[in-house]
Amino acid sequence: MKFHWFAEVTYPDLPLEPRPGHSAWVTPDWKLVDPAKVGETYRMFIRLMQQADRDGFDGLAVNEHHQTPFAMTPSPNLLAASLASSTEDAAILIIGDSLALYNPPQRVAEEMAYLDCVSGGRVIAGFVFGTPMDSVFAYGNPPIELRERFHEARKLILRAWAEDKPFAHNGKYNQLRYVNVWPKPIQKRPPIWVPGSGSVETWDLVIEENYCYGHLSFSGLYSAKPMVDAYWEYCAKKGGDMNPHRMAFTQLICCADTDKEAEEKYYEGVKFFYQSNMIDPGFITPPGYTTVRSAQAMAERVKASPLLKPEDRMRAARGQMSFWEYDEKGYIVAGTPQRVAQRLRELAKDLRIGQLIACLHMGNLSEDIAAMNTYLVGTQVIPQLRDLWADEPDHWTPEVSQRRMAARAAKKVAAQ
Amino acid sequence: MKISREKIGNAEVRVWRGGKGAPLLYLHGFEQHPGAAPFLEKLCETFEVCAPESPGFGQSSGLDEMHDLLDMALHIRAVVEGWDRGAVNVIGHSLGGMFAAELAVIAPHLTKRLVLVDPFGLWLDDEPLPDPFIQAPDALAKLKWHDPATVKDEPSAFDQTTDGSRHTFRTINLSAATKYLWPIPDRGLARRARYIQAPTLIVHGESDGLIPLRYSDELAKLIPGAEMRRLRDAGHYPMIEAEEPFLDAVQSFFLVP
Repeated sequence: MKFHWFAEVTYPDLPLEPRPGHSAWVTPDWKLVDPAKVGETYRMFIRLMQQADRDGFDGLAVNEHHQTPFAMTPSPNLLAASLASSTEDAAILIIGDSLALYNPPQRVAEEMAYLDCVSGGRVIAGFVFGTPMDSVFAYGNPPIELRERFHEARKLILRAWAEDKPFAHNGKYNQLRYVNVWPKPIQKRPPIWVPGSGSVETWDLVIEENYCYGHLSFSGLYSAKPMVDAYWEYCAKKGGDMNPHRMAFTQLICCADTDKEAEEKYYEGVKFFYQSNMIDPGFITPPGYTTVRSAQAMAERVKASPLLKPEDRMRAARGQMSFWEYDEKGYIVAGTPQRVAQRLRELAKDLRIGQLIACLHMGNLSEDIAAMNTYLVGTQVIPQLRDLWADEPDHWTPEVSQRRMAARAAKKVAAQ
Repeated sequence: MKISREKIGNAEVRVWRGGKGAPLLYLHGFEQHPGAAPFLEKLCETFEVCAPESPGFGQSSGLDEMHDLLDMALHIRAVVEGWDRGAVNVIGHSLGGMFAAELAVIAPHLTKRLVLVDPFGLWLDDEPLPDPFIQAPDALAKLKWHDPATVKDEPSAFDQTTDGSRHTFRTINLSAATKYLWPIPDRGLARRARYIQAPTLIVHGESDGLIPLRYSDELAKLIPGAEMRRLRDAGHYPMIEAEEPFLDAVQSFFLVP
């Protein structure tokens, strides 16, 4: 089982009381934000991820969002660049570049190749559609075109990495007379991850291409279960690779020496995290973003298995759950390293997950608590879970990172 | 009116046809084809009406080949050529107004007289349009009707037996509309409007909150010789909220000797 350190880069100082007409996405007000504080926040996350690299995480995950204080990472590649040259072993998990938003798309091929070169072959290439808020509202793509643009870009990027001679690309959305990407990645073709929200078209893609799929919600096991189960069932039916390392999942984790301490230290950050993710309903389902076929299938799945009630989702988003209710309903996994390890084991087995994207900072959590979380999970939780799926090969994290992590583990055993 | 399924190039589209008289092409708006709406049936008393559903809307295919507005204008040109009645009168409503104006630009020989009804096509920086795609149902009703309370059955091509749910039907239609209206419903009409040769009447519901009246005033300035007719007590759908004045206006415009 692999563990990737992650956090949404949330601005920690915004008031959370409901403001009429306020959406944390697309149209939030800038006027209460201090750019110097934004800078401090970025530097904190870079330090935390550098620590995660030392503390035994397999990967450091960065993502792309636009126009929101919830996740101030317009370019994951910039954050990745800070890590590629200042970390040693962990994979640089770019999860991912929103392909339709790069013009021309070989910018993605170039920047990921740059990062792979700087990091010595540690890049995981995540290709994402981007949320509706990002891709169709902030960046203005007609929703009906998003999938086509994504696929044209994806194929162009892969070809640009593979070809060693210039070629012409005459696409529907991009025309390029001379594609000749410099540099090219150290890994001939970095591992590719494509997360999704349950669209059948994305399932077909990851199964056909044997990419790592990802269910990247922040609502935990019960919210994800109908979707993830349906995915694996579909994968089996299509004769796809059932290797758990092909599935990534995000989970908020709040680890402390005692359960009581966990509640004291993390509760405010957890509430802040969920409360700062308010989205104006108009921005959630633009027509054409999801195909009719997928929208119907998703609605059926949610109906068929209401493991989490709509009221629960509402209360979670409003910060109205107690700390342990968040835990019980799956939104967070909290407590001592022992308890966290046990719950993650159950989660990973239940959902058949080999790549856990562990969210170890949330909301307005202070750096020292996040550092403690990182240390406890890295040194006391992860070692307990290394046996999970150990018999299955992992083709979806860079070889060099896997080799170095194994060497570290061997060294530790030798030292004992 | 009768519905037929017709092959236009590689697309198969539904076409509502009816009436006798001078040929009249009707191009529907961004939300849906209105089906055999009362105002269309009334136009059939004076005209031979052809009202195609646009590719990607309802049950009509062919959106894949519509890379841009020119493809759409050429598609409509093919509809008119297939009809084989020479130059025809054209009414384009809302998004259909944008299409009708482009048809008049590329096919002056096929466009006899042109009526644009609350048309999309321009963008005024000092009076931005509301985003038609993010409105909650109540907010949308307020924007598009003069008086939402008086509108009961909005005419629609929706067919319960074959279209599944209304929600799905609407999603399909709006998805196709994003091709031409997202994120800003300006695909260059302001540059090309001066090439319109057909006598043009712009009809605009005074209470239209989706496209404020000024948009049509500005468009009228760009189309050589265009006339402007405002209709009171009507929003984005004057043919529904002010049916009689609407029919009077278009009939007297088309029937000039």
